[in-house]
Amino acid sequence: MDSKISLRQIGIWLVCLALSLGSSQFALGQEGVFLKDEEAPKAVFPEADSFERKVVRSNEEIKAKIQQRMGKTKTSLWEDSYVTFVAKKGETILGYAAIVEEIGKHRPITFIVGVGPDRKIKDAALMVYREAYGGEVRDRRFLQQYKGKQLKDPLLPYRDIQNISGATMSVEAIGRGSKKALALLEVVYFEGTEQK
Amino acid sequence: MFIFLIFLLVLVSTPVMAQEIDTRSEIRELREKLERLERKLASDEALREKKSVEERDAIAEKVKNDVISEVSSKGQSYFSKLIDQTKVGAYGSMRYGTSSLDDLHNSFTLRRFVLTVDSPIAERLKANMELEFERFTQLELEKKLTRTSGGGLTSEQAIEGNNKSEISVEQAWLQYDITDWLKFRGGAVLVPLGRFNINHDDNRWDLPRRSLVDKGTPVLPTTAAWPELGAGFLGDIPIGNAGKLSYQWYVMNGVALDSEIEQIGQTRAGDTTKLAYEVKLQPSRGTFSDDIKTGKSIGTRWAYSPSLGSEIGASLYWGRYTPDFLPNKPVFSFAIDGKKTWGPFEIEGQYVNTQWSGVRKVAQGLARRAISSSSEAEIDDVETEVEFELANLANRKQGYWADFRYRFWPDFLSNTILGKHFTNPQLIATFRAEQVWFSELLESIAFANGALTETKSANRLLNRVTMGLTYRPVPLVALQLAYEYTRTNRGKSLSSVTNFLTSSKDREYFQHAVLMGLAFGF
Repeated sequence: MDSKISLRQIGIWLVCLALSLGSSQFALGQEGVFLKDEEAPKAVFPEADSFERKVVRSNEEIKAKIQQRMGKTKTSLWEDSYVTFVAKKGETILGYAAIVEEIGKHRPITFIVGVGPDRKIKDAALMVYREAYGGEVRDRRFLQQYKGKQLKDPLLPYRDIQNISGATMSVEAIGRGSKKALALLEVVYFEGTEQK
Repeated sequence: MFIFLIFLLVLVSTPVMAQEIDTRSEIRELREKLERLERKLASDEALREKKSVEERDAIAEKVKNDVISEVSSKGQSYFSKLIDQTKVGAYGSMRYGTSSLDDLHNSFTLRRFVLTVDSPIAERLKANMELEFERFTQLELEKKLTRTSGGGLTSEQAIEGNNKSEISVEQAWLQYDITDWLKFRGGAVLVPLGRFNINHDDNRWDLPRRSLVDKGTPVLPTTAAWPELGAGFLGDIPIGNAGKLSYQWYVMNGVALDSEIEQIGQTRAGDTTKLAYEVKLQPSRGTFSDDIKTGKSIGTRWAYSPSLGSEIGASLYWGRYTPDFLPNKPVFSFAIDGKKTWGPFEIEGQYVNTQWSGVRKVAQGLARRAISSSSEAEIDDVETEVEFELANLANRKQGYWADFRYRFWPDFLSNTILGKHFTNPQLIATFRAEQVWFSELLESIAFANGALTETKSANRLLNRVTMGLTYRPVPLVALQLAYEYTRTNRGKSLSSVTNFLTSSKDREYFQHAVLMGLAFGF
């Protein structure tokens, strides 16, 4: 291989770089902020035309109720409050959503889980991913596995969730967080004072 | 008449009085209703007010926390934030192995301990580093320059270390995420040839020894983990709803024939003492300093994943492997790899084919430069010898490994010590089949007066099957048990086709081994 080829390769790099810099759509890579708070509920309830935002303060009673509903799944429950949404189309309630956080391998993953009136996950979307590896958990093809899952499901890799090789910790974190969101919405909206 | 008038008055006034009583009672009822309504309204209002106050408090608290966190984050210096975001991790593995070969002891081996550091320097910019300590115990260097009594200077140097100890940089790169499909990466990058080298962390794998193709022979131009200094691009391109195309493409210094000097001091009964220097030229990872050859190498891998859990990849590596003082010859490798998961079943494999061009011409070139493959001299009771040799070269090496895995967890183990403390423990049964073919494997060369006098090569075959069972309490920890059977051509030594089986006895053309391994990451 001679130096001419190397120059050609450098040329190809520069063309690629110029093309990408010229494109208006810049998507982020492994880690980054993918959705802001106000955009998040729309990602899981795209058909809704209004969202009622409610901040639910956490306390020992809520924590105990969430943990009880999660069964064997151990989670952090570190939050002092949860941001939740009631998704509506006109006057009809389409479902509820909660923003949750769980530690992947080293850093927290922030995501939103939307739950329908049938108490099953309608959709989930990643908001912030901070790990250096395992960003594939953001892919639609991964997250769509959670659709239709409910509290009684294990939400574990190799059980009812297809794992991502090299990102097992992040996959487990998404499962734990989804269960936490299901339990929280159960406590707050389906059984609690905020019931609609 | 008067009585009649009074009667008439009473008769007329009675309904009026009754009507008055009714009206009063109605008014009283209405008043009571109104009071009840007022009380309810007041109560509802109080409830609403209470909820609103609670919600306002919660929002105020959140805003306060956000502000505090923002203020405190703004108050942090760039460096303290960088340190806070930088994460140090590690993975490591050790093994206890038994072998049927005479010269191999049953032994514990620290396979490696690798420190990993990753840091998001800024948005879209990140750095990553892996520093490996392989079989490393200690390294101590002593140097002394002193006056010699009676005049003169004495320089002393001593290196203290342990057999096969190695410290190496496995990765050290900076990445700029331009878009999902175009990320720039530069530094010491893992060569994307096959799937093992780019996913080599020991705790990801279920068997306690790496494959022959990647490490034990190897068929890759040099052993995994194989980093090279270079730069290039990588990215992911979504295809349809569930598909994804991933690529990596780098220009690198590349593998080169590099020298390794082995010093031997030998005392022999009834003979002279021998001091020998063996200079072995063999393919090794490219330098991280000035390259010893002019050409650079290219490595690229393209992988298509039609759905989660399925992937097929094709990769190639091409570049000059000879230093400038030898004829310009390239090495070309290509690999096909893949993985497919069906519920608890998984198949993963890799085929690699490497062609070393002009091995004979390279040997001739070495003969011209080095003049003699071996030179000896004897002064009094000391014999000195210098030997040059070419190692680990074959016209072509090709081989594969295929892993068949089954993941399971019997319910009765959930309440035992193996299961009760963990959310998703697993047992993994693995069967691995491996084969490597060597075409014209260079066994030895001899040269004198700048001319090649003898080359000896052979076609060889190496087979290995491994059966293993792994217990994973959590995804990052693996306790492994495996049985291995390795075999080469009858009557040929395993040591000439592997880099980890040391026996040179020709009768030892097969090995039975039992391995117990431990791998972890954090």
